[in-house]
Amino acid sequence: MTAPLDIRPARSRVNLQHLGSQAVNWLKGLIAPAVAILIFLAIWQLLTMGPDANLPTPIRTVSDTWELIINPFFNYGGTDKGLFWQVFTSLQRVALGFTLAAIVGIALGILVGTSSLMYSALDPLFQILRTVPPLAWLPISLAAFQQANPSAIFVIFITAIWPIIINTTEGVRQIPQDYNNVARVLRLSKPEYFFKILFPATVPYIFTGLRIGIGLSWLAIVAAEMLIGGVGIGFFIWDAWNSSRISDIIIAIIYVGIVGLLLDRLIVFVGGLVLPEEQKQ
Amino acid sequence: MAVFVEVDHVDRVFKLPTGGEYIALKNIDLQIHQGEFVSLVGHSGCGKSTLLNILSGLDQPSTGGIVLEGRQVTEPGPDRMVVFQNYSLLPWLTVRENIALAVNRVMKKHPQPVRDRMIDHHIEMVGLQKAAHKRPGQISGGMKQRVAIARALAIRPKLLLLDEPFGALDALTRGGLQEQLMQICQENGVTCVMVTHDVDEALLLSDRIVLMTNGPEAHIGQIVDVPFPRPRERMEVVKHPNYYSLRNEIVYFLNQQKRAKLHKAKPVVAMAANGLEKVNLELGFIPLVDCAPLVVAKEKGLFEAHGLSDVTLNREPSWNAIADGVATGRLDAAMMVAGMPLGMTMGYGSQRPRPMVSALTLSRNGNAITFSKRLFDAGVRSLADFKAALDRRPDQVHTLAAVHPTSMHNLLLRYWLASGGIDPDRDVSVTVIPPAQMVSTLKAGTIDGYCVGEPWNARAVAEGLGVVMATDNDIWPGHVEKVLGVTEAWANQYPKTHVALVKALLEACEYCDDRRNREEIAALLAQPEYVGADETNIRQGFVDPYNRGDGGEPEPVLNYIQFFTGKANCPDVSEAVWMMTQMARWGITPFPRNWLEVAERVKRADIFGQAARELGMLDIGRDRRPSHLFDGIEFDPDDPLKYLDQFAIKRDLRIEEVPLDAVSIR
Repeated sequence: MTAPLDIRPARSRVNLQHLGSQAVNWLKGLIAPAVAILIFLAIWQLLTMGPDANLPTPIRTVSDTWELIINPFFNYGGTDKGLFWQVFTSLQRVALGFTLAAIVGIALGILVGTSSLMYSALDPLFQILRTVPPLAWLPISLAAFQQANPSAIFVIFITAIWPIIINTTEGVRQIPQDYNNVARVLRLSKPEYFFKILFPATVPYIFTGLRIGIGLSWLAIVAAEMLIGGVGIGFFIWDAWNSSRISDIIIAIIYVGIVGLLLDRLIVFVGGLVLPEEQKQ
Repeated sequence: MAVFVEVDHVDRVFKLPTGGEYIALKNIDLQIHQGEFVSLVGHSGCGKSTLLNILSGLDQPSTGGIVLEGRQVTEPGPDRMVVFQNYSLLPWLTVRENIALAVNRVMKKHPQPVRDRMIDHHIEMVGLQKAAHKRPGQISGGMKQRVAIARALAIRPKLLLLDEPFGALDALTRGGLQEQLMQICQENGVTCVMVTHDVDEALLLSDRIVLMTNGPEAHIGQIVDVPFPRPRERMEVVKHPNYYSLRNEIVYFLNQQKRAKLHKAKPVVAMAANGLEKVNLELGFIPLVDCAPLVVAKEKGLFEAHGLSDVTLNREPSWNAIADGVATGRLDAAMMVAGMPLGMTMGYGSQRPRPMVSALTLSRNGNAITFSKRLFDAGVRSLADFKAALDRRPDQVHTLAAVHPTSMHNLLLRYWLASGGIDPDRDVSVTVIPPAQMVSTLKAGTIDGYCVGEPWNARAVAEGLGVVMATDNDIWPGHVEKVLGVTEAWANQYPKTHVALVKALLEACEYCDDRRNREEIAALLAQPEYVGADETNIRQGFVDPYNRGDGGEPEPVLNYIQFFTGKANCPDVSEAVWMMTQMARWGITPFPRNWLEVAERVKRADIFGQAARELGMLDIGRDRRPSHLFDGIEFDPDDPLKYLDQFAIKRDLRIEEVPLDAVSIR
């Protein structure tokens, strides 16, 4: 009976060592990007150290925007809000537009994918529309909605929907013949086919579309907000340029980048929860 | 047994995007019985998977159709469940859910608890209880295949279709699953069609193996019956005396197809010259002493002398290969066992009838029955001893071998056994093994004796493996042994060539029967491209006194092999009728009501007569009169049914009209 007692601490030691070595590995992985960032900052510092430089040095940037960095949550009314609120407002627009795009896009994609008539009718149209730059939609949506906020949401919607439609369509058309054969041999009913085979088989493609879509909509929101004004990270950048607060722009860009990355990771994470091992791409 | 699935003259034509057509399957006609396990074997691209898809209803034939239990198959359905090549499990469902999807859909009428029990039962059957809640991505290939099989069996299909089910598995897993599948199919009486390219797998599992030719226009090349008793054990199947000959037959077929693919680029055209329609002939022979006329005609330039300037001799591995080669046109003509042209014309062993012609008897006599040394040492010296030995040990199955169902070896061996009161089908087992494999099979101990031509008796004696119990001279001296066989279509297409061929071989036969030439011929036969056996074995009975291996002195046997003397060569209708009685006696063919018409149609004395007259030889055959074998039972060629009636040991007699002209010539 003593043997297990002897083993247990040994095991935990091994586990501790294991965790330790994992942490070391993780830190080792950080060394390279950290060095790269340092070199980047050094070059930036060197290039902007001159007296007639147009851009601030990194040190200057941080000292200029210290207020913004340490306090992202202030709210002085109007457009004078902390960076958190600016990003939050933009995210709300993106969330709304992107959700609409996802719902409509997946539905349209499945419809087009399952019907070859619809596919031949609509696919060329989608191929043309998807190449239209997001901002080109803005004037027409302003004309249609007459208001800034719905127009921005519409731009997000129209930007994100194409990759979702196209990937979903592709997913439906790419359902392995094997799965369809199984359905045919078992004579599955239409709803059974949809829920047991078509939809699950298409999910990986849908997530690919969602991932591209979220990236595009984050791209579009910044540009759209620059034009329509109001609260939002895009207008914050535009406003900062107008007021020659170059350091603010730089710090906002870093925010935009990080949030974009997080959005992308979020979709990947959700996809990982939903997809079984075999279907991951 | 009623036909369960009928594949009725199915063609499958694919339209090519370039506007042409690709004929994948041509005229596939196959009947499958209830509970039967049929394998489709062929090279890749032979359309076997297409045929399986058509059976399942996933694909539609261009012409013809599939009839399952009297109803035509037009769409896929769960009564014809498929085990797909790559399992086709849904990766987002667990093992249990995958099976449940099928069961819940197909067994809708049953209440949920019944269905649940059904699902659990089948998970248990394939031993996957522990993995029931895992997804396909988390289990091994072998387990996935088991899930696929469980899913297929759970919905109780009438017909189970398997597309290379074990192709992607390692050998160990494959072996285990094959046995499981065999057991499940046997217990549940499932009718199966399996596509495979593994010959051993097909032999282990199948009742029949359908060999497909290469595409385009793939069709059924041959159907091999697998006679191993069930339930089968892998090791016992391998030990079965027929295992290797069947395996060789299939591998030979596949190799043939491979070669045919290469040859297709340069199709053989008939070269006409010297006043003949075709001078490039492919002739088939089997390595035996009595192939001497072909070898002599080739080596002594007799073919050229009669205008056949480009004759190739093809050494074939089995009599089946000969029959198949001549039937498919790969061979122009061949030396055949005496009953083969008759048997093919009547469609022996449920094969498609094919009118054949024989215009020359190549040899008479030359066979012997050899028993293993083991039997001899156990005191078996005569047929009566053998009968006594069988009676002493009724639990032991003795297996004897002959070279082909229609060969004289088979007919004589059976006649000899039956005359001693031994039923060749019930008291012993008579199996088919190609001549050249007899000695090694006897050595392996899977057979106890055989009837074969030389040198394969002499070799067993020389190696101390066997003892000759009887030679032809003890059973029926001077009987017809090897004949020249061509298809009737060939004979009609190349009549002058046919006569030239008969003339060349007739002269060769005359040469062979001159004792002065025998030494030379024995040396020729010993060459590896012909018989390739030890010359001393070839000389036994042919040149030298015959050693029976029973301890007695070798004694000279008169006319041990007879090629020419005694009007040996004219096709003999009486003998043909005798062979028809014997083939009918053992259920190899029906007895034709129009027996004389069949015999006259096959045995073309007129062609022989023309050839003999042109050579200035005697153009008549032996006198037509009642004859008898060693047991003295008189055979009157005018009353064959009375002759058949006298035998106590025989199978149920089928008397049928053999329609000669209705048979289509492909």
